[in-house]
Amino acid sequence: MHKVNLTINNKNFPINLNGNETLMEVLRNQLGLTGTKTACEESECGTCTVQINGKAVLACITMACDLEGDNILTIEGVADEDQLHPVQQAYLDYGAVQCGFCIPGMIMSTKALLEKNPAPSQEEIEYALDGNICRCAGYPKIFDAVKKAGQVMQKGWQKVNETENISREKLSSINQGLTYEEYVKISAVANPEAQK
Amino acid sequence: MLLNPVVFHSPRTIKEAVQLYGSLEDVKILAGGTFLLNSLKLLKRKGTKTTANIISLRKINELKGIRMDGNRLVIPAMTIINDLFESPFLTDNFAILHTVCRNISTNPIRNMATVGGNLTCRYTWTEMGAVMIALNAQMHFTGKDGEKAVVSSEEFFKNAAKSDKLFTHVTIERDPLARLAYRRVKKTMHVDVPLLAVCVKVYIKDGKFNNSCVSVNNGTSFAQRDNQLENFLNNSLYTTETVDLALNHLDVNIYDKRSDEYKSHMFRVSIKNALLEIIKSEQSAHA
Amino acid sequence: MSISINSSDTKINIDPVGKSVPRIDGRGIVTGQTKYVFDVSFPNMLVGKMIRSEHPHARILSIDTSKAEKLPGVRAVITAKDTHNIKYGSNEYFFPHTVDQMAIESEKVRYIGDEIGAVAAIDEETALEALKLIDVKYEVLPSVTDVLEAMKPGAPQIHEAMNNIGVILPVNFGNPERAFKESFHVREDKFYASAAAMAALEPHVCIGQWETFTNKITLWSSSQAPFKCRESLAKTMKMDLNDVRVIKLAVGGGFGGKLEMLPMDFAACLLSKKAGGLPVKICYNREEEFSFSRRKHGMHYTIKSGVTKDGVLTAITGEVIADGGAYCSYGPTVMAAAIMRIFMVYKIQHFRISGYRIYTNTPISGAMRGFGGVQSGFAIESHMDLLAKDLGLDPIEFRLRNITTPNMITVNKMHLTTNGLKECIEKASEAAEWKKKRSNPKYFKQGVWKRGVGIGIAADVMGSKMYKSHESAGAIVKIEEDGSVYLFTGAADTGQGSNTALSQIAAQALGVKYERIKCKSGDTEITPFDTGSFASRVTFISGNAALRAGKDAKMQILEVVAEEHKINISELDIVAEKVILTKDNTTLMTFDAALNLCYSFNYGKQIIGRGSYNPKTTPIDFRTGEGNVSGSYGFEAQIAEVEVNVETGEVKILKMWDAHDIGKAINPQSVEAQIEGSLAMGIGYTFYEDLQFRNGRVVNPNFANYRLPRSIGIPEMESIMVETNDPEGPFGAKGMGEASLLPTSAAIANAIEDAIGIRIKELPITAKKIIKAIKEKEISEEKRV
Repeated sequence: MHKVNLTINNKNFPINLNGNETLMEVLRNQLGLTGTKTACEESECGTCTVQINGKAVLACITMACDLEGDNILTIEGVADEDQLHPVQQAYLDYGAVQCGFCIPGMIMSTKALLEKNPAPSQEEIEYALDGNICRCAGYPKIFDAVKKAGQVMQKGWQKVNETENISREKLSSINQGLTYEEYVKISAVANPEAQK
Repeated sequence: MLLNPVVFHSPRTIKEAVQLYGSLEDVKILAGGTFLLNSLKLLKRKGTKTTANIISLRKINELKGIRMDGNRLVIPAMTIINDLFESPFLTDNFAILHTVCRNISTNPIRNMATVGGNLTCRYTWTEMGAVMIALNAQMHFTGKDGEKAVVSSEEFFKNAAKSDKLFTHVTIERDPLARLAYRRVKKTMHVDVPLLAVCVKVYIKDGKFNNSCVSVNNGTSFAQRDNQLENFLNNSLYTTETVDLALNHLDVNIYDKRSDEYKSHMFRVSIKNALLEIIKSEQSAHA
Repeated sequence: MSISINSSDTKINIDPVGKSVPRIDGRGIVTGQTKYVFDVSFPNMLVGKMIRSEHPHARILSIDTSKAEKLPGVRAVITAKDTHNIKYGSNEYFFPHTVDQMAIESEKVRYIGDEIGAVAAIDEETALEALKLIDVKYEVLPSVTDVLEAMKPGAPQIHEAMNNIGVILPVNFGNPERAFKESFHVREDKFYASAAAMAALEPHVCIGQWETFTNKITLWSSSQAPFKCRESLAKTMKMDLNDVRVIKLAVGGGFGGKLEMLPMDFAACLLSKKAGGLPVKICYNREEEFSFSRRKHGMHYTIKSGVTKDGVLTAITGEVIADGGAYCSYGPTVMAAAIMRIFMVYKIQHFRISGYRIYTNTPISGAMRGFGGVQSGFAIESHMDLLAKDLGLDPIEFRLRNITTPNMITVNKMHLTTNGLKECIEKASEAAEWKKKRSNPKYFKQGVWKRGVGIGIAADVMGSKMYKSHESAGAIVKIEEDGSVYLFTGAADTGQGSNTALSQIAAQALGVKYERIKCKSGDTEITPFDTGSFASRVTFISGNAALRAGKDAKMQILEVVAEEHKINISELDIVAEKVILTKDNTTLMTFDAALNLCYSFNYGKQIIGRGSYNPKTTPIDFRTGEGNVSGSYGFEAQIAEVEVNVETGEVKILKMWDAHDIGKAINPQSVEAQIEGSLAMGIGYTFYEDLQFRNGRVVNPNFANYRLPRSIGIPEMESIMVETNDPEGPFGAKGMGEASLLPTSAAIANAIEDAIGIRIKELPITAKKIIKAIKEKEISEEKRV
């Protein structure tokens, strides 16, 4: 029996482990964090990608017992209350989401890449995502989303509670590096509230 | 549960680790886990009894941290492949390691796999083995009683990568005069792409190849040198004509024994292109 | 949500159709909150596992489950004796003889993995332990796993079908033999398109629950066709349709593998009944997913064509032999698609191709995306290029002389209405700079890397009347008192974005902004009937249903407004959130005000709009091959530019252009995303994917050895949308989702030939094959010298 303190999404989870649990099983079965998926038995698909100490790694081949003191981030911990992280927002805006099963892992790999290098070349993006299979999207829109998210992250990312006088929509548009007009075009919504 | 029950050990020092290694039965060393975990899962699915004791090296700080020790590069066993890839120390002859790391498996695996695992895991192929031989790397071990041992990588792989000691680090001497090229068949397209890697190291003196090393991995967990080709290269002019002739001087036993036509063909293409790369870069350096 | 729009300007354009609005269900996905059936678990849920045959062909002599039943933790075990032994099939309406599968087999097993029972236990360990305790006695029969062997007289007989021919489809028109005699040139080619796997990331998974006090079933299933599943379940369980509820949640991809009831769906429900109503979850691991679900038909495709001196096709004959695996599944539809798609693309009067779907003792071949059109696309489009080459004609020029036109009826009575094929070819050719690159000895033909371009064209149906007497879709638009709107649709969104597109259509039809709509799809108890997500039918058929439902809801509102304001309803409309007078576009009131009126004291009228759409098609008469199988047809042209390394055989795809006649793009970003996904899948099929068998067992049931395309090696893709504004489609839209998969392999094979003069006729195209072909060519050229 091992008593382990797992730090997941900046929260502390004291858990009793037998010693043979993988992180993926602990996340999905014991903690109910089903955002991290699994789709193969051989660390090939990438759907279980999480960030440990900032590195994109595979939860299905990580032993949970060994993670005391490590900083684990899953897809559930990426958004900040109800404000989406630029990577999540970019995936939505650039049509990179289809069936969605690969998306949590894809977002974690993207986030790990952009945190280290927010202006990656095409080749660097391809190499960073080569461990995440997507069967639906064919990748071009994923590449667009990665590049755009990187642009936002370079400018610095404002969080909602730091900017109280701006409407949520206006803030979204700033965080996406768009003018308000461009943002409106993309989201096809005329929202007169924000025009006030 | 994906794995059979195990007793999990997490030592903090090399000393603790070798003590455990010496005292426990039925032990598996856990480095990056990129091979071990999948094999344990497979064995569970098959219903096979698996190892009782896992010794994880993850928390041993002595096994981490690439550094320079004078003119010598020290790469500890638990160095993560991507950390090696990004290391600023990879200049001169060390730069070849940059190329090797690039194409190992996929990115998350590169964030978990270790140099130690890659070199010493006998059940899967080693991308780095051929390069270590070419770099004349020395492999350092600590025995179960704490005794240290050093083996050249060439010796180590001649012995089919067997060892009963714990691998701790590899050291490589800086060598600005060495010319290195590495070729492996990239994993694009169909799965029947052959597993092979070739690393060529030569010196160039008085317009000729000199002191060459051609080390080859034929998709296994070890690598070996092609002495026949090396003998031909030494004292041949470093020109493209030599390269064409060189292909007639391969030790075919190394390349063709367990290969189909395509693999044999790709070996020759890889060696040719590695030699041409060295010649081109030498010529452009002098231009 | 109270929306009040102050501006009286009706020119605010918030019509969502044609805009790349954000996915309606996207937020849950990017935050990891969306639940797939894979993620769901219930209290007291049991884990189910199937009992499978280890033999490719055997008679079941006895099954003893007593030891398994006694194992502590096992709650239920079922075998055939617990069932009604009713056979079911997927194409049963038109092909009753293809109803050949039982959910739990009782007499014979016909492939390794064939299901003969199931167990449910408190956890996976116990269930697996229980499987080991099942004692089955077989009489092993000789098996046949190669399709050409299976056709020979004397081969082991798998079903009651002579020579193991499960489906025979002879399609004949005119007099090809005479036409060949009168042709300038005749050529025959043989091709082989390999078996592939759907390989959706979410595996097959279901949870069955038996409600003990009402004797009802609820099945949560990762399904593309909940209603099809319900129908088969009701049939095999001998229950009424309204006692069986099938619910799909978010689905992690289907690609044709989740279009029918699998034995696991049946078993989960029956196990739950036997276990006293506890929910039972059955989930495949990746090995089971590759080995025991569904796969693509491998096909041997022989095609012979005649042409005039000017390159006009005179006649086509040939033969298609498809490896069907152990049972029929969607076999007939796949065969029909493999043979008859050609009529949508090329004008042909004299034709005879016979298709044979052969049973073998291998895993079941089903309806993988493209339905046989992918394999035939490879064969036909490669063949056309070879014909063009024989005549010294540019491949595009050759095609332009033979393609179908708008508003024509084909020899097999398909009504092609809008047809943008010519425009697609021309636009793709222009974008790719075809004239500069094709057959140009100066264009990157020196050195080790040689470039070439190739084209492939295809056509697509929007659904097809091959499953039932009708193919209708239904939709309901229900408006709540606060103005929020529900769209209920039976169409199953498996990730392609149909919920979004249908919501856009419904919103525009109703006259409101997209953000009011929430979409509920694929629950057989709540949503109206829909045959499912396949054959690119959803935008066209389900879209029309959603359109009608939206319009109906609008009319119901306007009736009240008309009555209140004493205006004729024909003078009113709802546009951009406002009720307007059509004669001068002035605003009478806002949408919200009109809704408040409906729910007001005097009227109290609930607004529930309904729509149903059945395309005006005719089923195929399988004696003659005639039938207008779809309400509209989509077209596309694809050009690939490749770079081939003549030393290593490696092929890089530099860029792909896809010009697509989609009628109208409801959501351009989604359309592009679908095109790109299809192209990637086509690239995978061409180079990487190869499901291999030995003695009936899949030998590469994992991602390490069945490779999928990844981020490295994906080319730049340019999608060109051609909008022909189909009169029948909702807002002019046709469907899409499959067409971009059909000609990809041929476009690439054609490009490789342009680059290095090597023609590969067997998929997948591997580096090994290319080097071998290059070496053989060198040898034969040396011999000639």
